[in-house]
Formats: sequence, C-alpha cells, structure tokens
Amino acid sequence: MAYSLLLSLLYLGMLCGNGLVSARSELFTPDPSRGPHFTGCRSREQETFRCWWSAGIFQNLTEPGALRVFYMTKHALSEWQECPDYTRTVKNECYFNKTFTQIWTSYCIQLRSVRENITYDEACFTVENIVHPDPPIGLNWTLLNVSRSGLHYDILVRWAPPPSADVQMGWMSLEYQVQYRVRNNSHWEMLDLESGTQQSIYGLHTDKEYEVRVRCKMTAFDNFGEFSDSIIVHVAQIPSKESTFPTTLVLIFGMIGVVILLVLLIFSQQQRLMVIFLPPIPAPKIKGIDPELLKNGKLDQLNSLLSSQDMYKPDFYHEDPWVEFIQLDLDDPAEKNESSDTQHLLGLSRSGSSHVLNFKSDDDSGRASCYDPEIPNPEDLATLLPGHSGRGDNHPLVSRSSSSIPDLGVQQTSEVKETPIQKQPAVPSWVNMDFYAQVSDFTPAGGVVLSPGQLNSSLEKKKEEENEKKIQFQLVSDGAYTSENTARQLSANVPSSPGPEQGYQTFPTQAVEGTSERGVPGCPPSDSQMPYLLPEAPPSPILPPVSDYTVVQEVDAQHSLLLNPPSSQPAICPHSPNKHLPAMPTMPMGYLTPDFLGNLTP
Amino acid sequence: MSRSLKQVAVLLVALLCLDPHGRVGSAPICAHGPSGCHVPSLADLFDRVIQHSARMHSLSNDLHSEFEQYFLPSKNHIGKIYRKCHTSNILTPNGKENAQKLAREELTEVILKLLMAWRDPLFQLHQSMADQQDFNSFSSNKALEMGDMAHELRKGVEKVAEKMRVLGMLGNSVTGLSAAEAMLPLSESGEAMSDYELLYCFRRDSNKVQNYLKILKCRIVPEHDC
Repeated sequence: MAYSLLLSLLYLGMLCGNGLVSARSELFTPDPSRGPHFTGCRSREQETFRCWWSAGIFQNLTEPGALRVFYMTKHALSEWQECPDYTRTVKNECYFNKTFTQIWTSYCIQLRSVRENITYDEACFTVENIVHPDPPIGLNWTLLNVSRSGLHYDILVRWAPPPSADVQMGWMSLEYQVQYRVRNNSHWEMLDLESGTQQSIYGLHTDKEYEVRVRCKMTAFDNFGEFSDSIIVHVAQIPSKESTFPTTLVLIFGMIGVVILLVLLIFSQQQRLMVIFLPPIPAPKIKGIDPELLKNGKLDQLNSLLSSQDMYKPDFYHEDPWVEFIQLDLDDPAEKNESSDTQHLLGLSRSGSSHVLNFKSDDDSGRASCYDPEIPNPEDLATLLPGHSGRGDNHPLVSRSSSSIPDLGVQQTSEVKETPIQKQPAVPSWVNMDFYAQVSDFTPAGGVVLSPGQLNSSLEKKKEEENEKKIQFQLVSDGAYTSENTARQLSANVPSSPGPEQGYQTFPTQAVEGTSERGVPGCPPSDSQMPYLLPEAPPSPILPPVSDYTVVQEVDAQHSLLLNPPSSQPAICPHSPNKHLPAMPTMPMGYLTPDFLGNLTP
Repeated sequence: MSRSLKQVAVLLVALLCLDPHGRVGSAPICAHGPSGCHVPSLADLFDRVIQHSARMHSLSNDLHSEFEQYFLPSKNHIGKIYRKCHTSNILTPNGKENAQKLAREELTEVILKLLMAWRDPLFQLHQSMADQQDFNSFSSNKALEMGDMAHELRKGVEKVAEKMRVLGMLGNSVTGLSAAEAMLPLSESGEAMSDYELLYCFRRDSNKVQNYLKILKCRIVPEHDC
C-alpha cells in the first residue's frame, strides 16, 4: 500500500517537473541563478489570485510578451489557456479574477516562451491552499491596569479583520496572531492564535516602548498573511515610590517600639510575672506551728510546741475505754524457776552481748488512742503462757493489770504518753507521776506486782533486791528517738554508778544517738524511746523522760523484774495514777508475741 | 418460611407495579412546547452545525498535514495537484458567487450528498489506518472521530433541512435528500484510493461543506448584512 503510494507520488512529481509553486512567501523572491520561473501565486480573499514570475538570467526575455503564462484547470478536461489578465501596472503578474477563479479546483500554470515554444516552469495548486489573507486593520491598544508598584501594566489590543476577507458571511474564517517586542529589539514575543479581534498583553514594563503587530490566516490552513503596521505602546512610570517608602519605615519603627515596651514591662514586673507564671508550691503547714521553727528551732522549743499541740486534744484517751493490757499469768511458782526462755533471753544479756529486746516503735504511729488492737488479749497470752515451758514468771512481758498498776514504765507513743498528762487534772506537772514502776513481787498466781508511787521505797526495795542480783534492764534507745536530755543524763549516770553486776551494760553511745524531736520534756520520748537507765543510778534529779514501756531485761532468781533502775526517779511523765495503763504499742519487734515467746523457748 | 417470603416478594412486586409513583416513565422532552424547555431556533441549529463542520475540517487538516510529514518529507507541495476524488462527480459550486447563486434546496442537497458520499470511505480510512503500524493510535483515533463527526453532521444537516421544510423555507422539490447514495471511493483507474488520497479529498470536501453551510445560513437566517 505504501509502496504503491510512493510510486504514484514519484510519478506525479515527475509530471510536475522541477518548477514548484510554493505558497510560502519565502519563494517570492526570484532566483537570479535560474532561468524564467514562477516566483509565487497568492490569493487574498479566496476569490481571486495572482501569479508572478521572473525572467531570471535570461535577460533577453524581460520585454513584455516574451514570456507567457498558460493555465489549465484539471477540473474539467480543458486545454491550456493563456493568462486572462496580465496586470499592466505590475510587471510579470498574471491576475485571475473571480470568473476565472475556482475554489477547490486544481490549477496548473506554465511559463512559456512562445517564440521558442519552451516551457520554462510549471506549477500546480488549489486556490484555497494559496490564500494569504490581508493584514488586519485598525490596530489599537487600551490600558487595562497598572500594578501597585507602578512597574508593570497590562494592555488590551484590538483590531479589525481585513476588509477584503468576507468574514461576515463566513466565507473566510480567520485566526489572528499578535506579536510584540521591546522597541528596537530583535526578538518578537508571539502570543497564541486568537479567533476573536482582541487580545490582552500582560506584564509590560513601564518606561519601555513596545511594538505590537498582528497578522492572520485562515483557520485550518497554514498560510499567514502579512503583518499589520506596528503600533507603539508606552506607559510612563508614575513616581509612587515615596508614598510606599515611609509607610514601611513607620511600620518598622512601630514594631521596634512595641518590642522595647514589652521588654521594659517584663523586666519591671518580673516578680509579679514570676508569681503568675510560676506559682510557688505551698509548703506543708501544721496548724499553729511555724515550719521554720521545726527546721531550725531548739529541741526544747519543739518539745513545748508539740506538747502544746496535744494539750488541745483532750479526747484521745477518753475514747479508749477498751485499752487492753497484757496480763502475765504465771500458773505456778514452780514455773518461775524455769526460766529457760527468759534466761535464754536474759542470758544473752549476761554474756555481755548487747542482746536487747529491741522494741522498736513505729514511726509516726499516729495513734490516737492508747489502745492498740493488735495487742493480744491477756487471756490469749495467758493461755499461751502455760504452754511454754519455762515461761513462767520469766515472762519478759510486763503484764499490766488494768488498774492495779497505775504506773508502769511502758513505752508508749507520744500521744499515749501525753494523754495521761491530760488525764491528770490536778497535776500541774508530771513530777508526781509514776511513769514506771518496779516489780516488787510476784503473786503466787504468777502476777507481777508492781509497786507504784513511792519511789523511794521502791527504789530502796529495788536496791535491796539488786544487791543480790542486779538485773539490768537495759533500755535501749532507738537511736533516732532518744532525747538529748535523756541521753545526757543517761550518759551522766553511767559513769557515776558503781561497777555493775551482770548485765550491766552501758550504751552511752547508743543512748546519745539521735535527738528526740518531740516529746514532753521530762517524759520519755515518743515511740520507742528507751533511755538508758542505770539500775544503780544514784538518786538523781528528775529523771529524763522514759519510754512508755520498759523492756524487761532480766529476771533475777527471785523472780523480780527489774524494769528500771531503782535509783532513777520515775519518769516525770504525766501519768495519772488512775489512768489505765497504756497498752503496749504495737511493735513487731518489741512486742513479744506468743510466737516470739515460743521462739524464746529453747 | 419460604412461603411467607414468596408472599412478601409478590406483595412487593405488586406494590411496585401498581404504584404509579414507583414506575419510571419517560416523558417526551419539550412535550409542552416552548414553556417546557428551550427549543433551539434555526439559527442556533445552523450555528451548531457550522461549528461541527469546522471541527471536522480542522481534524481532516491535522491528519492531512501529519500524513504529509510522514510520507512527504520534502517541502515540495507535489501532492497538491490534480487528483480525482470520488466525489468529483458531484456538481458542486466552485466559488462563493456560484454557491450564492445556487438555490437553497440544491445547496442543501449538495451538502447532504457530499456527507453521504463520505460515510463509507471514512470508515474504510479508519480501518486502514488502524491496521497500519505506521500510524500511532492518536492518528487512527482522529480518523475514527472524523468518521463519527461526518455521520453526526449528516444527521444534523438532515434535521436542519427538516426544520427548514417545516418552516416553509425549502420547497418540496428537494428529492435528493433521501436518494443520496453511498459511493465507493474509486479513483480514476478504478483502484481503491490510498489513505493519503482519501485524506486529501476529504480535506477538500469538508472545507466545501463548511463553506456551503455558512452560505446557506447566511441566506436562510438574515443577520447583519450577510
């Protein structure tokens, strides 16, 4: 298929010969090196057309009539006819008017020299393919807008179709092309084809001269017409820079001023702003107590403070009607002799070890009452007691009867210790209080009889007993809770006493440990304050505060429990004689549970 | 269970069928005259048809120039010489004045004849272009579009002619409207024309159709000293 096409085309090409009539305007210029030839054919309005030729190098054929044009329309089988009209005004032009012009018809023209009967040139064409429309007319421009900066502007260019083209009827439908350039520049800017008669040009620079021109062609054909005359476009630059300049300056300076004001404001109100943005964390407060004093104050001040605190809590002790006391029941006196566990317990102390029943109280027990529910019933203990061999009266526990033993040095919590203070309405001070009592005798039933009150007598009694065997009840202080006074006095008492018997051990160091943070002066400090008390302490002045409970250190052969050194006065602790014995605090370590008792039993 | 389902289905179907609102009916467009919808005037119809023909002509021009670039790389317009198209037998006015002198009916008839004559050749052209590997799909699509456009244009022109007849602008002497026969594209020698020849001829004929329609419109619809 393509092969046959190619062949046919070649054949046709041979038919046409060398002479070619191109519709391009570039071939309008005659070629001087050639012989006579057609330089071009054009139609302006698709109704008439003209052809031009040139003699070329054959100058002898330049006279008119030497060369003649013949044409033939292949539409109808016709012979060659001569040019209908040789234009008189224009040289070498053949003009075909409306009657001789047929559109959509193939024309072939020949350039002949009649005298010599030579055909110099031949060309074939159809009229619609050689149409070059006339240039548009009436080109003008209007200013659309100018940019804010005054540097650019847009224009609208208008024109009219060429009058020769019959656009009204639509015989020719034209497309236009606008071109513009900066004046005296060589490069033309081309815009897209426009089928209307106006177009906008954007982005032109002020103070520059522009040339604008337009040309047209038939739609769906390729031949552009000539350009129209150029128009000059020029817009003067409006000096508007000064108006914008101060505005920006004012803005800049305003911003700087505002920033400076803000900085000054912040620096002047720094403290207030700090409070607003970073509020301080409230410190814990105790009502009535200055936290500064707590941190930096003296011990006695603190003691007074804290005691005064609890002065106003009168109901602590009243609400504990069920304070329990551990009752130590010894079934038979025979058992008293068996003190295996106790001896074991105390034997450790004899050996000089500092085995101590360490009664460690809870920190911040916060106990509002003396009652400690965890303390087993005396009955339970009592039942347990017989089960253990050798328990007997060697029970290290101090049994407290409900009311018979008012004074018992039992370690208590601060609250418990201090509530007795309040229980004594008539006691201005706790000098008369018997904080601790000495075990004076054992009942046959195994109860421990503690003698309250009369210190001297008890002390003397104790002295007598201790003459035989001093049992040192060593009160070990929990390092943290020994009051200073206690420690000092204890340590003072230590060297003054004569050589102690077995079990006499001094722990001045331990006693000095720590400082009691609270506690009634003169009273045993809270929690497990076990001041070191010497059994042989000389009759000392007011005893330093003693803990609420006393660790039974040793039971001598006569089954007397030495709780406190007889010389030492009972703790001047506010303990009402009628008060219930404070219950033992719950101390897992210090509290001798039945299990512990069991462990003690060898 | 199935029985109840069947009953339900029957009920639904009955409802749908019997319910007048559930039925989708098709009402004729513009049944109620100008108030119902916009009926295009003759001028609008002519404008549409002319736009269509312009589009068709530009398509044919594009294809022709592509073909020229493909097969005729030289600048010589050798191809633009006398060719005998299969539609050359149809007498067509060769100029503006000739077309203006022609009667409306004849002009309409000529247009319809031309369009009818190109129905099959365009289809044939598309087929051959699609078969050949030389053309890209874009060109063959253009050829197909061109063929469709020619077909639509013919329909449009028939409608315009109908409207003109209704309006009394056309006499009843037009008989060739239905008698336009499809012609086989045969060249002078009787051989089938090549693709290039077809393109060349169709480009010429589409330009003819476009111009004839414009002339016809100008004569039928009088507007601004046409």
